[in-house]
Amino acid sequence: MEAWLKALFFPGFLFLLVVFLMIFYFERKILADVHLRTGPYYVGKWGILQTTADVFKLLQKEFIIQRRANKLLFSLIPFVAFLLVVALIAFIPFSENLWVVSTSFDLLIILALVTGMPPVFFYAGWASKSKYSFIGGLRVVNQMISGEIPLWLSALSVAVFFGTLNNLEIVKESSFLSFLVLLPAFLIFITSTLIVTDRPPFDIPEAEQEVVYGFLTEFGGFNYAILVLSKLVELFALYCVAVILFLGGFKGPVLPGIVWFFIKIAFLYLFTFVVRASTPRIRMDQLLRFCWKVLTPLALLNLAFVILIKMFLF
Amino acid sequence: MGSSIATAGYTFVVEETKEVVGEDLGLLQEKLLQLNWGVQHPASGPMRLKVWVDGDEVVKVDPDIGYVLRLLEKLVEYRTWINAIVNVERACFMDDFGTMTGYSIAAEKIAGVEVPKKADYVRTILCEGGRIVSHLIGLGSFVGVMGVHTPMQWALIAREKFLDAFETFSGQRIATSSIVPGGVRYEPTGKFIEKMVVAVDYLEKEFIPRYEEVFVDNPTLKIRSVGVGKVSKEKAIEIGLAGPALRASGVASDIRKDYPYAAYGELDFKVITKEEGDSYARYLVIWEELKESAKIIRQAIEGLPEGDYRTKFPIKVPQGEAYVNVEWARGCFGFHLVSEGGTGPYRLKMRAPSFANLWAMPEIMKNVKLADVPVIFASLYMCHGDIDR
Repeated sequence: MEAWLKALFFPGFLFLLVVFLMIFYFERKILADVHLRTGPYYVGKWGILQTTADVFKLLQKEFIIQRRANKLLFSLIPFVAFLLVVALIAFIPFSENLWVVSTSFDLLIILALVTGMPPVFFYAGWASKSKYSFIGGLRVVNQMISGEIPLWLSALSVAVFFGTLNNLEIVKESSFLSFLVLLPAFLIFITSTLIVTDRPPFDIPEAEQEVVYGFLTEFGGFNYAILVLSKLVELFALYCVAVILFLGGFKGPVLPGIVWFFIKIAFLYLFTFVVRASTPRIRMDQLLRFCWKVLTPLALLNLAFVILIKMFLF
Repeated sequence: MGSSIATAGYTFVVEETKEVVGEDLGLLQEKLLQLNWGVQHPASGPMRLKVWVDGDEVVKVDPDIGYVLRLLEKLVEYRTWINAIVNVERACFMDDFGTMTGYSIAAEKIAGVEVPKKADYVRTILCEGGRIVSHLIGLGSFVGVMGVHTPMQWALIAREKFLDAFETFSGQRIATSSIVPGGVRYEPTGKFIEKMVVAVDYLEKEFIPRYEEVFVDNPTLKIRSVGVGKVSKEKAIEIGLAGPALRASGVASDIRKDYPYAAYGELDFKVITKEEGDSYARYLVIWEELKESAKIIRQAIEGLPEGDYRTKFPIKVPQGEAYVNVEWARGCFGFHLVSEGGTGPYRLKMRAPSFANLWAMPEIMKNVKLADVPVIFASLYMCHGDIDR
């Protein structure tokens, strides 16, 4: 397949859209199951088209910009955010030959793009010129910066271990032994992924009971859909990276590679949903203390541990 | 209240009157930011809290109420003695039985009517049912303000069973109008008792173990609420807290025990108190009272006597006045009822526990983080209908 065809259909935009509608559907279904409810039921078989209907509803909505808002920035930000995170997907190998781009700096580019997100979300809050949005924007910057350092350190320990930044090579060299050695890094990576992407219990910037969805408050309709989608894509991309770095990517017996890839992703998502259903949100100061006093030192220790292993065993 | 914050040494700009235009940095220039926490806010309910924040610290909180004022006390003056219950029960729809019981006892005191024993027991069953329904919502919304909606969904399922029982009893699920001066309005049929037992069974065998496993002793919940909004015993009495919030500070004040009414004097139950006085203690008090209420219902159903469930209440009541306190779900609810010898009450004053808790809240919310505001607000266990009346 041509690269641009891949980028458009599979594993590009169209594929992503379908994946997200499904992930969102399963999130609602699983949450409903924990809540002892039924969840989406009426639209389509088993309510499977409910999320599609919701997205179409958002698309039809009026385009509202607050009077005091910075109009250019306000309308531009959702698309900037979306483009930034969608670029992440291009570097993910979903199976042996299902990828859009493969360079020797895959991991570095992905992490750099993720690091580019806080200013975008901060501007989303700032451009709204609304108090709650502004506080939400500040919280995003605080939280993401403190979460990204352990994220980088744990991802880099993998790069050190395998001696490469190329995703395909990392997958090829991974084994059960590498999984065991990198297990602490995996746990740190997943935790900091939840922090960086504002998932519960770290959904402090968009706490609706505190700051009314933070920087999302003033957005509506299509803009809101794109902004929320970009946050979901970010989480998806980071989970893909986690699968590639720690869980052996598309490797697995019998089934084709892409199926294994999505089974592994599904496990991570299941974990996320269950955490969301049972863990209350923590406070900003507690999060900062956790990030700087626990997570970052642990990530540093882990990096030293991996370097030692690399020095003496391999 | 603007002047008091100025005298405290703070300078602030009321954001509402200031236009932010063009290249102006606007919000960034202010030191103190006034947030309107409500009326349109996911966690506030129909009231407004003006919250002044300095960064993430709350400097001052000023409640602004009156959005659900229904003039219930005034409306009672245009009703007959029996009809007035429809206004009294609407103080808060969560637990309407407590308020109806209080009003009925006050009216009976003035009229000198003796209520049959069976009516007392049925009132007790209904009051405790109402307390459970209210406490379930309280638990759900307390954890709900921290972004977890699971407890609320579980609580609503358990609540449905009780509402089913109320429906069997009175034909209505929420505003039942079922307790009147002179007894209760409907015969407590076997089917009602059966449904009540089903509801209590579900609560004790399904809801309580499942809930206890996840949301009691939950480490993250403790991180968020232990030590937040702490009130000492002396302070709690001084600022006039009521209900579970007062008992969480170590004051064993419970009207059911102190001045027994209905059938509470004959039943065995204990008053739940905690010494810590923080948000988590208040949450635990609600949680343990839930279990205690289930026990009371079981005892009352076992001891339900035979006989009449209602006596005749006179149309005209002699002159006089009465003050009655009842232990409502959210605290001590006082009724000051005055009769001028007419067919209806001359004046009714309701002393609301939520109102007392609300005005104690600014004291508690000093030097807390912005994220603690909803937690303390939910832990004080207030009902907006009760605040405004």
